Amino acid sequence: MKIKVNNEYQEFDGEITVSELLTKNNVEMPDMVSVQLNGEFVKRDNFSSTSLTDQDEINFLYFLGGGNF
Amino acid sequence: MSLTDEQLERYSRHIILKDVGIEGQEKILNGKVLIIGAGGLGAPIALYLAAAGVGTIGIVDGDLVDRTNLQRQVIHFTPDIGKPKVISAKEKIKEINPDIKVNTYQYLASAENISDLIKGYDFIIDGTDNFAAKFLINDACVMAGKPFSHGGILRFDGQTLTHTPGNACYRCVFKEPPPKDAVPTCSQAGVLGAIAGMLGTIQAAETLKFFIGKGELLVNRLLIFNALDMTFRNVTLKRDLNCPVCGQKPSITALTDYEQAACDLKGQR
Amino acid sequence: MGLDIKKSINLHNISCPMNFVKTKAALAELQQGELLEVLLDEGEAILNVPRSLKDEGHQVINVENLGETFKVIIKKG
Ligand SMILES: [Zn+2]
Repeated sequence: MKIKVNNEYQEFDGEITVSELLTKNNVEMPDMVSVQLNGEFVKRDNFSSTSLTDQDEINFLYFLGGGNF
Repeated sequence: MSLTDEQLERYSRHIILKDVGIEGQEKILNGKVLIIGAGGLGAPIALYLAAAGVGTIGIVDGDLVDRTNLQRQVIHFTPDIGKPKVISAKEKIKEINPDIKVNTYQYLASAENISDLIKGYDFIIDGTDNFAAKFLINDACVMAGKPFSHGGILRFDGQTLTHTPGNACYRCVFKEPPPKDAVPTCSQAGVLGAIAGMLGTIQAAETLKFFIGKGELLVNRLLIFNALDMTFRNVTLKRDLNCPVCGQKPSITALTDYEQAACDLKGQR
Repeated sequence: MGLDIKKSINLHNISCPMNFVKTKAALAELQQGELLEVLLDEGEAILNVPRSLKDEGHQVINVENLGETFKVIIKKG
């Protein structure tokens, strides 16, 4: 199946959860990312129980703390 | 209000623009903007807003200029080391444009003072370096019905969104500050100096658009860029009706100061 | 022509783009439909300023060649 991750399609065989997708995309600190699935934000507690389906659109939005320092 | 010949010259490249004109420039001249943080983002923002003629600029920062700031905080110069950032910034603003009224607040924005700080301003800009301040600015502005620009940078990345009342806020995207042990360590917290300029000037442009009332603000969308690939993307957002601060039944009704990881605090001593 | 000119400005020796800026400033003081008379230099000024004003929705109703300057009547749009 095809999933659009941060605007680019990625291909997967078989089921994949949000947690697994984060790992596959080398997101080292899931605590530092907000996940938007088809326009809605996924609760952090539900990352491992939320499965993705073909043509889903997912965005990883990172905390960026800088500015002043 | 009628512009003087000097003002017509100074702002000629604005006035020529159909979408600004005399009327738009007058709105800019009457504008009151509060910049929280006179650092990497605050520096270009203050410089461009001063040059643009924003009538009143308030700057909040409790820090002194440090040699490590000079790589990106372009409003502070080498001889300013040791000087309060708000004073250093005010001096440059006055040199660029003596007509600007500058208010300086030489302390950290906190839950206790932020409501008073933002009260007299039309538009607030988050140019801070830490999550505590970002959530505080968001919550205070949402509660007071003030529009603001959020900005964050790290390494080669930047992101920004503009909030206006009734639209998505920072907490609609990021519910609460990340756990302290997840915050980047000092060694991970570098930033390419020019990134601050890229993001700060976007925030400055949003501010000017807000005053002239033309175009589409970064409302209900988060602009994200990565300067290594030099890619930009917009992520569409919507207000979360369950948002803890801007939702229909907000659970956050009072301002609080979040604790910060030690490395984060360094810049805001 | 018996036109009711509300305001008149002399932009002789004022070059581009300040002549356009000053024309915009003068128009800003008028109401829609009122007339502004502008004296513009030959060359770049007379080629550019009326064209730019049309782009912004104003009407150029008369251009009179006075030699090294032109007298232009603009109706605020
Ligand atoms: Zn919200």
